[in-house]
Amino acid sequence: MSDNMSYHIFSILCQNRPGVLMRIARVFTRRQVNIESITAGLEPSGNSRIIVLFESDERMAGYLRRVLERLVQVIDVNPLSEETSIVREIALLKTRPLEGDKKEDTLYKIEEIGGRILEVQGDAIIAEIHGDHERIENIIQEIGPETFDEIARSGQVYISKKFE
Amino acid sequence: MTVMTGAEALIEALKEEGVEHIFGLPGGAIIDVYDVLYGEDIEHILMRHEQAAGHAADAYARVTGKPGVCFATSGPGALNLTTSIANALMDSSPVIAITGQVPKHLLGVDAFQEADMLSTMIPNTKHNFMLRDASKIPRMINYAFKVATTGRPGPVHIDFPKDVQNEEVDVKVPSEAGYHKKIKLEPDEEEVKKSVEMLSDASQPLIFAGGGVVSSKAWPELRELVKRLDIPVVTSNMAKGVIPEDDPLSLGLMGMHGHMEANIAIMECDVLLGVGVRFDDRQTGDIRHFAPKADVIHVDIDPVEIGKNVRVEVPVQADAKTALKRMNQYLKDHSISRSADQWNERLEKLGEDFKPKMDYDDEPIKPQRIIKDFMEVLDDDAILTSEVGQCQMWVAHYYKMKKPKKFINSGGLGTMGFGFPAAIGAKVGRPERQVVDMAGDGSFLMNSQELATVVENDIPVVVAIFNNQYLGLVKQWQDIFYDERRSETHLGKSPDFVKLAEAYGAYGDRITRPSEIAPKLQDALDSEKPAVLDIVVDPDEHILPMVPAGGKLDDMLT
Repeated sequence: MSDNMSYHIFSILCQNRPGVLMRIARVFTRRQVNIESITAGLEPSGNSRIIVLFESDERMAGYLRRVLERLVQVIDVNPLSEETSIVREIALLKTRPLEGDKKEDTLYKIEEIGGRILEVQGDAIIAEIHGDHERIENIIQEIGPETFDEIARSGQVYISKKFE
Repeated sequence: MTVMTGAEALIEALKEEGVEHIFGLPGGAIIDVYDVLYGEDIEHILMRHEQAAGHAADAYARVTGKPGVCFATSGPGALNLTTSIANALMDSSPVIAITGQVPKHLLGVDAFQEADMLSTMIPNTKHNFMLRDASKIPRMINYAFKVATTGRPGPVHIDFPKDVQNEEVDVKVPSEAGYHKKIKLEPDEEEVKKSVEMLSDASQPLIFAGGGVVSSKAWPELRELVKRLDIPVVTSNMAKGVIPEDDPLSLGLMGMHGHMEANIAIMECDVLLGVGVRFDDRQTGDIRHFAPKADVIHVDIDPVEIGKNVRVEVPVQADAKTALKRMNQYLKDHSISRSADQWNERLEKLGEDFKPKMDYDDEPIKPQRIIKDFMEVLDDDAILTSEVGQCQMWVAHYYKMKKPKKFINSGGLGTMGFGFPAAIGAKVGRPERQVVDMAGDGSFLMNSQELATVVENDIPVVVAIFNNQYLGLVKQWQDIFYDERRSETHLGKSPDFVKLAEAYGAYGDRITRPSEIAPKLQDALDSEKPAVLDIVVDPDEHILPMVPAGGKLDDMLT
């Protein structure tokens, strides 16, 4: 692996058939690329949309794209960028019981960045935040990963900025 | 519309596709398909191992240009097919593999002879699927053949549960399936122009032809281009014969066991046109030093291959035949030509300098001598298959082929046990041709049970065993790179191959002297029986020259 690693997001339109997710996932596995997140949903056309977030260099990303496009059940592979699409991820955060100022501090930070408090039980909080992958990473780092007991993340959803 | 069972629909659909031969082995989960086959016109060749059925179908496809079809039962039968299907994938061969499966209600509960073939075959096929609905069988079979033969060819596996085989449906055969994948066959005009100009302006141009030239039947166009520009050609072992190997412009096989002049040409050329090649590691050696002076033009129908291993200046995503035709047209329209010059002369001279010696009279026999005598006895149209290892490389390096599709070998996967069943598939597909399996004593034993098949079905192929009592190529590596520590490569007392052949009812003979090679090969051919020739060869002879794995192409051990 080269030093030029970065995050890539592929939006893969494919036929909705048993095993298609496995076909797609193993393209990454075989090339030793770890999938950071993967989501799958149905399109109005009846086809599936699978969105994969992974880290690799440009050369590998291009190669993976061509291998995916070769799969018989894959219709289209679209690399997503901020210029062409809006990408969002939702994270649900459950904190440990927080002591003293830490609770107030955490509540304040979450609201400040536009998150929502969903549940407060004693000294523990459940909150919802959203944003792109990087933003969610940053929020978690800022509050401190040790604050949380559990984090559930949705993977990527996106919509193209193009209007038909 | 006619009411029939799923199994009947399958056989009808296969007949619609023009299938005349099937290689296979029945079992519980495919018994209903075999029941329909009983009394049908399709000829079924009963093999003795499923792996062999797959290799036979693979070779059948390579020699006939039609997809090869193989059958196996569920579980172990289907798993045994996996190796040969993976082999067909690596060598881009259109095979249709159909295996029985347990009834749908038993899927996933570890039923008897159940294996998860849908998952197993995903990485080993171009595409695979399960027939879940009998009414769709005619369409899905048509679809399978389209997938296998459209664009870059490859194997398709179809899993067929027993309850679907017995489902009664009202279906229409034939039934045409759509195929959504768009394959780009035509090169862009700009690519054609650039390629042709680069080749004609080059001072040291070279063409590297691979299996894609064979699968797209592009050898006439390749030969025309070569003649128009007087460009020397090197080939992969999948492409042997696309240009006659006795032509002065043919430098022969390149790569790990290639010809020195071919490898030197790669290292010195300034423009390299790769057509239907993968630039795999056995071809390129150290990729950082592959064709270091060259601008590379790469023609391939599969965009995945372009830029995968080597940097490419001009990518030409197109069918090889179409692309070469367009290049020739451009040359003609613009009256561009190139004549042989110092570069050609130098390479021709290198060819003379490194001309391999073959006329050994030694005892034990040198393998080179076998190749020489076989070339003299066999027709130009003879098909040679090979096992994997030294025996394969003796043919690849030394045997001069004048036509393509005459050397059927396991190029990508290197599957020992390939050659004998491949010879069966080749002979069934081309019964009028001489078919010889160039075998090693190690790899022949991996599928020697097929002697029963050739005898029972009267398939007169010749197995020529280069018997050195070793896993020879591994031993060669041990001799050169592991200080002669021959760990577990000595096979010791191999069976008496003549008696083995005779035990099955085949013709058997032993050759120990060089003078016996030609007459005894002729006798075996004349016997018109399946034959085994046990040729006792010098175990210490290495297949040379060779590039050590990962080495530079012109840095060859001689």
